[in-house]
Amino acid sequence: MPIRPRGSVDVPLWRALATFRVASALYAAILTAGNFRAYDHPAAAWVVTGVMAGWSAMTVPAYARARSRRWPLVTVDLVVTAACLLSSLWIVGGYGLAHGRPTLTVTWMACPVLAAAIIYGQVWGAVLAAAMGSVDLATRQVITQSTVTGTVIMVIAAVALGRLARFAYDMQQRLNRATAVEAANHERERLAREIHDGVLQAITLVRRRASELGEPGVELGRLAAEQEATLRALVSATPVETPDDGVTDLRVPISALAAAAVAVSTPADGVWLPSKAAADVVAATAAALENVRTHAGPDARAWVLLEDEPEAVTVTVRDDGAGFDAQRLAAAEAEGRIGVAQSIKGRIRDAGGIVTIVSAPGAGTEIEMRVARAAPPRRASVRWGRVRG
Amino acid sequence: MSEAEQPPIRPPMRVMVVDDHPMWRDGVSRDLAEAGYEIVASVGEGAQAVRIAAAVRPDVVVLDLQLPDLSGVEVLHGLLASLPELRVLVLSASGEQQDVLDAVKAGAAGYLLKSTEREAFVDAVGRTAAGEAVFTPGLAGLVLGEYRRLAAGPTGPGPAVPTLTARETEILRLVAKGFSYRQIADRLVLSHRTVQNHVQNTLNKLQLHNRVELARYAIATGLDTVDEA
Repeated sequence: MPIRPRGSVDVPLWRALATFRVASALYAAILTAGNFRAYDHPAAAWVVTGVMAGWSAMTVPAYARARSRRWPLVTVDLVVTAACLLSSLWIVGGYGLAHGRPTLTVTWMACPVLAAAIIYGQVWGAVLAAAMGSVDLATRQVITQSTVTGTVIMVIAAVALGRLARFAYDMQQRLNRATAVEAANHERERLAREIHDGVLQAITLVRRRASELGEPGVELGRLAAEQEATLRALVSATPVETPDDGVTDLRVPISALAAAAVAVSTPADGVWLPSKAAADVVAATAAALENVRTHAGPDARAWVLLEDEPEAVTVTVRDDGAGFDAQRLAAAEAEGRIGVAQSIKGRIRDAGGIVTIVSAPGAGTEIEMRVARAAPPRRASVRWGRVRG
Repeated sequence: MSEAEQPPIRPPMRVMVVDDHPMWRDGVSRDLAEAGYEIVASVGEGAQAVRIAAAVRPDVVVLDLQLPDLSGVEVLHGLLASLPELRVLVLSASGEQQDVLDAVKAGAAGYLLKSTEREAFVDAVGRTAAGEAVFTPGLAGLVLGEYRRLAAGPTGPGPAVPTLTARETEILRLVAKGFSYRQIADRLVLSHRTVQNHVQNTLNKLQLHNRVELARYAIATGLDTVDEA
């Protein structure tokens, strides 16, 4: 089935085909004018020429409308064209055709084939070109190098046009997608600005003032602090969508992990990794933070640092919580009691990286995840995080 | 503000608050006034701030990056043009990364999120006035990233790209991972002052590079041409 994206990228192709159709009909009429006296049925030749002119006049505007470019039109076009071509057998006469006289349609027979190639692509174009070529050869009744050449040219043209059309549709789709993404990002930025200028500032002030109210204010302040952190993460980590081209800017998912007790630091420019590796790193980071929540104690805070170097990307998760004895971790691993540490290591290993865990009782925990880069980093030309444009 | 080592007759620190939210401006001014600072001006627009600062000559400006008329960088350039020694502590509500980095490169002395606790905020204004670079972990991450971006960039003609020493990198990474200057000093067996100096140096180098780049840009675009007579 044809994929017809919104937009008008194929308009030039249809204009070119319309020109080809009119020029071919004219050429056929000129040849008929030169040859009709020698035909078996000269009068009928003019009838067919009239049909070709009329059909051209109908199909040119029909193909110009996107809505009517469907299989009924293409089918009727193919049948009418094939009929005109076949009528040559009776009108021109078998003897003339076999001795090199052109058919009544000449190059006009390629029109519906090329239309189909534009709509349905190179495969259908090639098939229909071969079919129309067979009708042409059947009409001529002799197969020589020169009679086959017409068919071959038609097949090649159909394939080339089919590919070109597909390429044009792809470009149109990309353009549409990029436009949609841009519009979405624009809207997000607008929302971020609104939140930033009003709600966020008010909540921050509420939290600051709440602590002065004494006991009842503590709960209020805590609630405000949580909402404030959530909103800030939402605003600053606005997930800027990019068309999925296999790489991910790690800053976006990592920044989204920020919370009341989790501070995230990143560079100002994109930190690009292959999407698969990025997903592993994000999952490992989330697991490390989950570990902080469950084991580091209720008052523990955590910091996430994302670093981008030419040879590697590093994410460090540190907390100021309870910590643990590194030897006990090694012992637990040796006994096969694999915990969060193991799942973090597994994910980072999947991403082609290494994990370093440093901890001591009472001194918090630091988990450093370092993923090597295979290729030079892709630098984003667009910086993000700007709320004010 | 009654610490023993401070001379008793020291005049109060003169602070100017720039923020377009009246509510926030008043709250911050009150907090600072209660802590013993003198609020010499409190304004809501960038151009106004530049004008008034030149007249009242504050010691410290607390500057919100989100102003209706000028960008943070423009306000900083305006302030520092008339008062080169001015200490500017930048505040922002949501940490727009590029804006914060640009402000710091343009000469801000430090940066805080607006969500900072009141006591920490008041303390940060004092530290800023005393010449210290007030860093958040977020800012340390941005500065680290900026040095790496510069190092990875094309090496063409022009001024040498600033680089961090191994010690500076180590300290910035610790700041970015949430350690206080005191904790870093203990960990690396350095003095508190030395840690501060290292952090301050990372900013100074970036700001110097930024000024050189701006000057080069001005020369390249002919902004510096003087009438030849």
